[in-house]
Amino acid sequence: MPSQALTATSMRPGPRFNRWILERVRQRRGSPQLPFKLEYRHIYVMPTVFGAWFGLLLATTLIGGLNFNNNMALLIGFLLAAIAQLTTLLAYRNLVGMELSAIRAEPVYAGESAQFRVYLSNPEAKHRYALQLRSDSDRDARDIEINETAVLVLKQASMQRGWLDMIPFNIENRFPLGMFRAWTVIIPKARCLVYPRPSSHPPPLPRSGRGDEGAARVGEGEHFHGLRKYRPGDALKSIAWRASARHDKLFTREYESPQQQACELNWYLMPEVSVEEKLSILTAWIVKAERLMIPYSLELPTDALPADLGPEHRDACLKILALFGT
Amino acid sequence: MSKSRPTSAALLPQSGKANSMLWVITTLVVAAMPQFVLMSLPLAMACLFPVLWRIMAELKDWQPLPAWIRYFAVGLALALLAFSYGDLFGRRASVSLLTIMLCLKLLECHRIRDARLVVSFSFFLCTTQFLFAQGLIMPLYGAATVLLGLVALAQLQRVEAFSNKQKIPASSAPLLAELGFSLRLLLLALPVCLAFFVLFPRWGSPLWGVPETTLDARSGLSDNMSPGSIENLFMDDSTAFRVEFTGNPPSQADLYWRGPVFWRYDGRTWSSSFYGRNIAAAALPEETDTSWRYRVQLEPNERNWLFALDYPTAAPPDARITLDFQLLQRQPVTQLVQYNMVSDPNFTDTPELQMTIRSMALEVPDKLNPRTREMIEQWRSETPQDAALIRRALDWFNQEPFHYALNAPLLGSQAIDSFLFDTRTGYCEHYASAFTVMMRMAGIPARIVTGYQGGWYNTAADYYLIRQSDAHAWSEVWLEGSGWTRVDPTAAVSPLRVERGSLGAINQPRHMLDFSWVRSLRNSVDVMEKRWNTWVIDYNHQRQTRLFEGLGLGQMRPLDLVILLFAVLGVLAIILLPILLRTRGPNSRDPVQQVWQKYLKRLKQTGFQPWPSQGAEELARAAEVELPEQADKIRRISDLYNRLRYAPEPPALQELRVAVREFRPRKSA
Repeated sequence: MPSQALTATSMRPGPRFNRWILERVRQRRGSPQLPFKLEYRHIYVMPTVFGAWFGLLLATTLIGGLNFNNNMALLIGFLLAAIAQLTTLLAYRNLVGMELSAIRAEPVYAGESAQFRVYLSNPEAKHRYALQLRSDSDRDARDIEINETAVLVLKQASMQRGWLDMIPFNIENRFPLGMFRAWTVIIPKARCLVYPRPSSHPPPLPRSGRGDEGAARVGEGEHFHGLRKYRPGDALKSIAWRASARHDKLFTREYESPQQQACELNWYLMPEVSVEEKLSILTAWIVKAERLMIPYSLELPTDALPADLGPEHRDACLKILALFGT
Repeated sequence: MSKSRPTSAALLPQSGKANSMLWVITTLVVAAMPQFVLMSLPLAMACLFPVLWRIMAELKDWQPLPAWIRYFAVGLALALLAFSYGDLFGRRASVSLLTIMLCLKLLECHRIRDARLVVSFSFFLCTTQFLFAQGLIMPLYGAATVLLGLVALAQLQRVEAFSNKQKIPASSAPLLAELGFSLRLLLLALPVCLAFFVLFPRWGSPLWGVPETTLDARSGLSDNMSPGSIENLFMDDSTAFRVEFTGNPPSQADLYWRGPVFWRYDGRTWSSSFYGRNIAAAALPEETDTSWRYRVQLEPNERNWLFALDYPTAAPPDARITLDFQLLQRQPVTQLVQYNMVSDPNFTDTPELQMTIRSMALEVPDKLNPRTREMIEQWRSETPQDAALIRRALDWFNQEPFHYALNAPLLGSQAIDSFLFDTRTGYCEHYASAFTVMMRMAGIPARIVTGYQGGWYNTAADYYLIRQSDAHAWSEVWLEGSGWTRVDPTAAVSPLRVERGSLGAINQPRHMLDFSWVRSLRNSVDVMEKRWNTWVIDYNHQRQTRLFEGLGLGQMRPLDLVILLFAVLGVLAIILLPILLRTRGPNSRDPVQQVWQKYLKRLKQTGFQPWPSQGAEELARAAEVELPEQADKIRRISDLYNRLRYAPEPPALQELRVAVREFRPRKSA
């Protein structure tokens, strides 16, 4: 994938220059220890395409003004040049002193895009305007206030299961006029766990013994099943943030322990398909079992987990699948 | 993918309010304002149509126009332009072309880079306007354009940064703050700008030609004279030139500023002669103690005349003195000119008159004006002395019911006859013309001199201001022994014209805004304009050189200037950088808490008392009971607060701030 991006964009001088800077940073500075405070030596300032073009226009104005000794034109030309010059400082100032405090990413299924959440904090008593994060695959922007820690998200496509390393990104801004770009290159150590892609048509869940799902309230409003309105005192970690965000109200996840027979997800009892296909099916089963709230156990050639239910168990199982064979 | 496209190619948002495009349009309109004013009406309409359309499109979310309409508009505008100006390459025409193209660009300006193009070309358009005018209003115009353009660029930058978002977060700065930010930027840049202005090496001579005309014929006097030509000038209060005397100035009645001299008369129009223009003066006066010494600051007039009192002892550089004592500069005056003059009033111009010139100064159309001719022949027979005849003519003007007035009636083909015997109403050029013809008929060589008479003395700054409305015409007759002698027939009719200046002679207001306080305001503004001219507009290579010689730095080569410039910039950087880059330590106050406190204050204003121990959620429930109509807002605020505090992906603080700002509970009765 990186090689593709290279051929697609190396015709333009910009990306080539960026790549050269990236190499330099890789050799000189490497990945930063978080939290990482941006200092003057980390920040580059260069004119943007618009800035270069504006410079050309100014040069034309000034040469004309000098030739005709037209002092008003010279005044305005010099004024605009001085302002443009000043914006290099403002762009730098808008960036320096920011702190990259953390990068997190929730696991995703292969094929989904990984969302790297970059925590930028502003410890200084000045507002930061339109700070941008930019990688080859995505960008995000935020105004950051005094003492605020903002979360910016960079998406990155995940192709296969396992660890997905975050690609290098820039923290940059073109404040205030877009004529100059001040930026720093971050080569992050962050990575995102990518679970196998759930098979789209998995075989039915394997059942062991009496398959009485009796008490489970299957079919009726699966999505809202187990959620209730937040009540003061509910544990913070039991709040269903995604659902809450969707409905603008706080919801709490309720865990029921239905009296159900566990199902056994066993590598050796699966139909003969390729390893990836098997992992894919297992992933789909786990997702389905979680949804139906049926406890499940997992057995792989490398590892085994006893029957259980719940997000921790699911994540543990999926992680084993994601890293299987690596 | 976002990486394959530069972000400046992103589309501008279509939202109606707080629209960056409106700033872009305002910038363009302000930058083009001086051009709009001077355009012909159809052309101005062609410019305003796309501007208005775009404003409406922004406010009402209109769709872009189909391509054929846009092409049609471009074609139409070009045709109009070619029709109005005749060609597309004159200076005014090319600036009009730029203006019209920028306006039309608004019809298809949908990307950030298009908008930036419009803004930067608006700056360029603004600088082109200084080719035509550099008065005191122009720096204000320039500053306004720059300020608006900066706001537009800042907004576009925000649009670009947030171009992959659904909506751009409301910038915490409202409109005035945006302008304030631009103003701060401008003021911070000003020292650097001035350093460049003063120290950047100026060119002694232009690399390519300065054009012959600047097209805006603000020219005062013209190179011929027919009744009515000065009347237009009379309405024009703009400055012709300013004069500063060293030593005692002459009296008001001696202030005859000599301009074009006319010899030839065809019965209607006076024009100059080849001899007069092209032969150099035979003798020039010597400079003596009683000579007048003065400095003239001449506004551009696109003509070659420089103005001086009679008789100049030497021509300024690049100028010459002609046979009839016109002062002609080699290039037309397209930029402010300053020159030092010495004039000696006690000088005999042309003691011996050559035959060719004499006959030229006696030429009158044969068959015209029989009544005048008849009267002059009678006078001549009664008064053989030249001087006495002149006296008689002036007395006649003075005693007969002649009027000095602006709205002179039109004269027929026998112009002099109908003026002298029928209408008897006119102003300087009528009198000068009639008098000169009368003298010629009597066999006295005579010619017409135009120029300016008088001037307003500015007591505050000790200089004379000569306006276009001071334009004047008088006669000169050649007399044995005293050479060419000035005779002003207007003074015989209206002595006030010469004693008090052109405005003293007329009682009626010339136009709607002709009040004395307006004039005195204009006069005090002129003091500033003069300083502006002296210090800024006329700053050039020579003055730059002299400035540094005056400071004792000797002859500065361009390289020295550049080194000095960098030194000054270094000093400025040492002063400005710490101010710009200072960091204030971490703020101990928690911004979320600050906003929350504000919310609590608003709640308390309604009479509701929160308990200190209440959490956000509890508080919200209690407040909802008290203020049921505000329940939604209260919910939202406490929800935002909780998420800001605890959620892994907190919302922007600005959201809470906005929510609190919009939370305005009514006080309980």
